Amino acid sequence: MAARGGVMGLIVLGSRSRAFVIGGAISAFFLAIALIALVWTPHSVFEMAIEDRMQGPSWDHLLGTDQFGRDLLSMLMVGASNSIGVAVVAVGVGLAFGLPLGGLAAARRGWIDELVMRFNDFAFAFPALLSAVMITAVFGPGGVNSIIAIGIFNVPVFARVTRGGALVLWQREYVLAARMAGRGNARITLEHILPNIASLLIVQGTIQFALGILAEAGLSYLGLGTQPPLPSWGKMLAEAQTMLYLAPQLAILPGLAIMLTVLGLNLLGDGLRDLLDPRLRQAR
Amino acid sequence: MALLEVRDLRIEFATPQGPAAILDGVDLSLERGRSLGLVGESGCGKSMTALAIMGLLSEQARVSGTIAFDGEDLLALPEPALCRLRGRRISMIFQEPMTALNPVKTIGRQVAEGLHRHLRLGRTEAEARAARLLDRVGLPGQRFPLSLYPHQLSGGQRQRVMIAAAMACGPDLLIADEPTTALDVTLQAQVLDLIAELVESEGLALLLIAHDLGVVAEMADAVAVMYSGRIVEAGPATAVFGAMAHPYARGLFAAMPKGPGDGTTADRLATIPGQVPDPAGRPLGCAFAPRCSQAQDLCAAEPPVESLSAGHWVRCRYPQRGTATA
Amino acid sequence: MSVFLAKRALALVATLLIASLAIFLVLEVLPGDPALIVLGTGAQDDTLAALRRQMGLDRPMLERYLVWIADLLRGTLGESYTYGRPVADLIGERVLVSLPLAVMAILLSTAIALPLGVASAARHGRLSDTAIMGFVQLGVAVPNFWFAMLLILLFAVNLGWVPAGGFAGWEEGAGSALLSLLLPAIALALPQAAILARVTRSSVLEVMREDYVRTARAKGLTRGQALWRHGVRNALIPVVTIMGLQFSFLLAGTIIIENVFYLPGLGRLIFQAIAQRDLVVVKDLVVLLAATVILVNFLVDLSYAALDPRLRLGNGG
Repeated sequence: MAARGGVMGLIVLGSRSRAFVIGGAISAFFLAIALIALVWTPHSVFEMAIEDRMQGPSWDHLLGTDQFGRDLLSMLMVGASNSIGVAVVAVGVGLAFGLPLGGLAAARRGWIDELVMRFNDFAFAFPALLSAVMITAVFGPGGVNSIIAIGIFNVPVFARVTRGGALVLWQREYVLAARMAGRGNARITLEHILPNIASLLIVQGTIQFALGILAEAGLSYLGLGTQPPLPSWGKMLAEAQTMLYLAPQLAILPGLAIMLTVLGLNLLGDGLRDLLDPRLRQAR
Repeated sequence: MALLEVRDLRIEFATPQGPAAILDGVDLSLERGRSLGLVGESGCGKSMTALAIMGLLSEQARVSGTIAFDGEDLLALPEPALCRLRGRRISMIFQEPMTALNPVKTIGRQVAEGLHRHLRLGRTEAEARAARLLDRVGLPGQRFPLSLYPHQLSGGQRQRVMIAAAMACGPDLLIADEPTTALDVTLQAQVLDLIAELVESEGLALLLIAHDLGVVAEMADAVAVMYSGRIVEAGPATAVFGAMAHPYARGLFAAMPKGPGDGTTADRLATIPGQVPDPAGRPLGCAFAPRCSQAQDLCAAEPPVESLSAGHWVRCRYPQRGTATA
Repeated sequence: MSVFLAKRALALVATLLIASLAIFLVLEVLPGDPALIVLGTGAQDDTLAALRRQMGLDRPMLERYLVWIADLLRGTLGESYTYGRPVADLIGERVLVSLPLAVMAILLSTAIALPLGVASAARHGRLSDTAIMGFVQLGVAVPNFWFAMLLILLFAVNLGWVPAGGFAGWEEGAGSALLSLLLPAIALALPQAAILARVTRSSVLEVMREDYVRTARAKGLTRGQALWRHGVRNALIPVVTIMGLQFSFLLAGTIIIENVFYLPGLGRLIFQAIAQRDLVVVKDLVVLLAATVILVNFLVDLSYAALDPRLRLGNGG
């Protein structure tokens, strides 16, 4: 319903869910930071100043500096745009392949459906991080490869959600009527199925977004994701760990950033689910 | 003194539109060893009445009035005391035998559960008693061992298990909430006969909830007709069926199928147009007025309670006279 | 029962085959020349050729796959290029760290999650429910490696109760070995516990609305008795499913957590093998981990039959 009511409708509805308001605010905050970091940061993240290393907060460095004298705030900001960027593209990859697959499986049934579902079962039993590690083993570490590795595991998720939602809709009278009127599968999917499963996909999208942030952080912590000198939250934590005795404060902020972003997105997803479809509330 | 005496029972739920009174001042009375049929369409509050007596309403419900059972007000009793009463002195059979039994426990365990709880029987003794109970409800041990699971039984057989469990501790009052609605027509009579026979031989009181007047006519000494949270007509079965006075009760009567063989088919049954009003948006005065063919302007005012004969009363400004016709 | 078993066993074999094929394709076919990956582009031609022969790359693809599967079934794994030792030996050593770690983590997370989830459902809508759900939201959002670092900061750096990392080995006594696995196990268990508690709560809430719980109450059982005797076992079915799925996350988690604590386990082995591009180790280890996950989920399927008598006769599919 909110999908049809547009943005204003969503905001009005949103005031009814605390999770939505809090989660939305946190997510918007980090999204804003990520966008700002694309054009401006207080300092350059590539600028090292050994004489300024491991300083506490000051007017020049609001959150202090790391062991190379880099500005922590700037690094966190770039880390935000990096994490969010990877997660967004990974969700996009999942949608781009999962949606058509799931839609096709629901529309055609038969062996295509069977194939998609078996692929699904398999992907669920297989640890995503293990596969991501495997992919980076072959193609080498890096930002793009981590996007592929994370994105691949969004494909079966979106395929499953699309198929599940679409299967129910294909039984509805108005879809049967459209079929009798001679509309093709693709057209029916676009006109009748997609608009009605949009809310499902939005909710799943926020959840996968959050999981993507966590996965990216894990990969870059292991050194398999974003490569230095570009800062990322996971990498910052890995570097901080070597300094745990000397500068424990370096280990706090990047982790807090990851946790808050994921928390915000999860709350947003929960809130959206409650608002868009109260029947789904008990689904998890 | 009556075994069960319900006075001015009100149940309210908070809704976004404000409080909704599911029950709006219900009075019932049931003597020891007698049976009372509570009739009405689904959604009128029959099951809520039963759950209120059991003390099993959800926590959100606000209940007021009195439910006196053997002289004690159940609404004033603390939860542990209610737990000692439930299953021991008041038992209940539910509508859906398919879901009312736990699928992962054997029928023997489920029948014996009350025996453990209330009579503190040991395992072997409780099992022996459970086997006798199952035998009593028509599930002899050779064909229906205690080790069966509910999914291995048919709907009718499961309802018999429910009855056995309800009878286990020899209660004073049995509440049967539409016990046959979910069963095949051929089984309905068998299960009703079983209940009637048990009630008779054990001398217990029965509160039978049904939407079907025919079932009540067959089983009950007294009848109460409920509409939208209120009793609209009540009295001894003979008096009520002899001179049905409330237009709604007459409508229910007219909607009764006359049984097989009389040529009555579903499309020739009379129906009552419209639906039970939403408790949150109940009309002032008589709640049935919007659907009533006899309604007049004055029906928008609170309907008076009129006594017709000994124990037979109706809540209607324009009660019908003469024998009801179907 | 036998129909149920046969069906599941068939699915198990099929999944194992697909998994091994996928791993083979990704690690041996997709890269073009695995030997080049192992040695890097600067390698000498004759070294490359020697390695190709050692890895059996000169044989046709199908034959390589079948030989690999046959070797796996016999238990003879390949030989590590970097360690110069049989992969089976490496795994045998390291599993002594990873297996106890995984078991500890599962026990911990179950011990935390089940009571929390049930308690939360029993106090549905009250303050303690909200508090538990708040903890769950945090637990799901915390990256486990960061939580691990916080644990190290508190218990190793500040309090000095446990070592910050490393593994003494079982020869030094089970006590110190288990102690060095304690923090890693907690770090692995927390996010799992959060998810499990959430599933338990919603599952118990759902079961509490079932008619048979009302029946139990009508027999005179208290809320608590009805919940424990009639609710929990039914509610366990989805919980066990999630526990099976979580096992795979747990294995993936060990890759990161063993790195945080410098534990010589399977997770660290696979990570090091990747860093050193030791594809033989990666391939054998990944297939082993995948097989474990698939096998665990198979066992979970079987446990349904124990929990739900409807499945026992094979009439439930």
